[in-house]
Amino acid sequence: MRNVMAIAQKEIKAYFDSPIAYVFIGFFALLFGYFFVALLSAFTTQSMQMMMQGGGSMNVNQQLISPLFLNTSVIILFVLPSITMRTYAEEKRSGTIELLLTSPLTDVEIILGKFFGAMTLYAALLAVTLIHIGTLFIFGKPEIWPVVTSYLGLLLMGGCFVSLGLLISSLTKNQIVAAMVTFAVFLLLWVIDWISQFTGPTTQQVLMYVSITQHLDDFTRGVLDTKHLVYYASFIGFGLFLTTRSVDSERWRG
Amino acid sequence: MIEVQHLSKRYGPVTAVNDVSFRVEKGEILGFLGPNGAGKTSTMRVLTGYMPPTEGTAIVAGYDVLEQPLEAKRRTGYLPETPPLYPDMRVRDYLTFVAKIKGVPRNQVKARVDVTMEKTRVADMARRQCGALSKGYRQRVGLAQALLHDPDVLILDEPTAGLDPKQIIETRQLIKELAGSHTIILSTHILPEVSQTCQRVVIINKGRVVAVDTPDNLTAKLRGSEAMYVQVDAQGADATQVIQQVPGVMSVRSADGQGGLEVASEAGRDIRRGLAAAVVTRGWGLLELRPMRMSLEEVFLQLTTDDTAAAAPAGEDLHA
Repeated sequence: MRNVMAIAQKEIKAYFDSPIAYVFIGFFALLFGYFFVALLSAFTTQSMQMMMQGGGSMNVNQQLISPLFLNTSVIILFVLPSITMRTYAEEKRSGTIELLLTSPLTDVEIILGKFFGAMTLYAALLAVTLIHIGTLFIFGKPEIWPVVTSYLGLLLMGGCFVSLGLLISSLTKNQIVAAMVTFAVFLLLWVIDWISQFTGPTTQQVLMYVSITQHLDDFTRGVLDTKHLVYYASFIGFGLFLTTRSVDSERWRG
Repeated sequence: MIEVQHLSKRYGPVTAVNDVSFRVEKGEILGFLGPNGAGKTSTMRVLTGYMPPTEGTAIVAGYDVLEQPLEAKRRTGYLPETPPLYPDMRVRDYLTFVAKIKGVPRNQVKARVDVTMEKTRVADMARRQCGALSKGYRQRVGLAQALLHDPDVLILDEPTAGLDPKQIIETRQLIKELAGSHTIILSTHILPEVSQTCQRVVIINKGRVVAVDTPDNLTAKLRGSEAMYVQVDAQGADATQVIQQVPGVMSVRSADGQGGLEVASEAGRDIRRGLAAAVVTRGWGLLELRPMRMSLEEVFLQLTTDDTAAAAPAGEDLHA
């Protein structure tokens, strides 16, 4: 555990000692801020109209927060490959992988350290959004529970992306290749349910289940379904497991 | 302390290390000598547990690197060819990180980092980023990284590569100081380095061990018989005849065409006394008398450029 912590700390230091963390957090804040303003303006205009027509007020959670988080996951889709691309590829290129692999560490410790390191930066990204959501709580009365589950969902979804990104980064020395492949695979997992309506019922079920967005949906509505928890947990576990295999086979190939 | 038996490493069809065996005793400095691409780095990578051997075993500090890698790694310090530094990290932070992953107890980390920085003379760079260091400092931080957990075994891949002459001397001095408490293998293709720092040499070429011996023995053995370089002021007389009569002398021939003679003698027999006496009793001047040895350069070239020598097992070709 101490070794995992040491690696994770090193990873976090690497993000924050270089411009990487600041650039990511800064631009993420910019994009999220834009989405927030756009959706909020649409929401206020709409609810004004509703009020004028004599209808009840609109639900902040369903009409604003849920779509906002679903949009956020698109930004994450673009941002995470560039966080995970360097994890292994850079160590291999600069030769520092020799330090890690000749230290008394197990592969699992190294991989978990890198996983938690990247997850910490990702959590820092998400933490920025607390400011915007916080203002909604000051000026309105949204329900707290769906917000909590949304963050949990986003964290788990990010975990899937990070574990997959680690795997892809461990397969190459080239960071650009790692980023491109990771992005392509993320995107594919994103849109894989699009073709589900044109396939048979069984295939449709499978595609819906594999799609990463389908699972996020319920989290943003405040629904905590074990089906989704199992999906994300097994995705992360399997991604990390394949990474250990990849690192080990690299060792044998020399 | 280190025992390598029948070690082979193949990368697909390419054989980098071919049936290499050698031992290193506790406290010894072993030089690993060979041209580029001879298999030095591959052998070292197997010893440090970076990659497994294709065949054979390597035991480091009492632990098989394949069976008990963590125990072996805990007792090994390794400086790869390019020091494994993170360019964005500061020197002190970097060494603290390495100390943690090498298993230095939590309450000793700071003290170990300080002592090691002092020893490798990088303390004045503690707050610099690794990426901003000169080549010499990078190498020293790399060495510090290998020493942090006070390992029994130190494996140094070309520790003086890219350093200026002053730094080379300092680094060699440091390595010599470390011997005794540490067992050291260092690889190099610089020959004087071996004769200056190492007690024993393994010469490796094309993945095979060509010779294992002390630097002195290697040069001496390769001669087969002992040879002396003699320069005599014979005042016009023929010195060759006289020297030929000295007991133990096998042959005398002109060494350089300027009056210098190469005197070959039976192996293991010291002819210097008799030779000096023979010259001096005749009233001649003995201008020079020194043993002729091949320099390590010549030994090395002879062992590594000769194809038959490279293919033959170690030992046999020592009398070439």
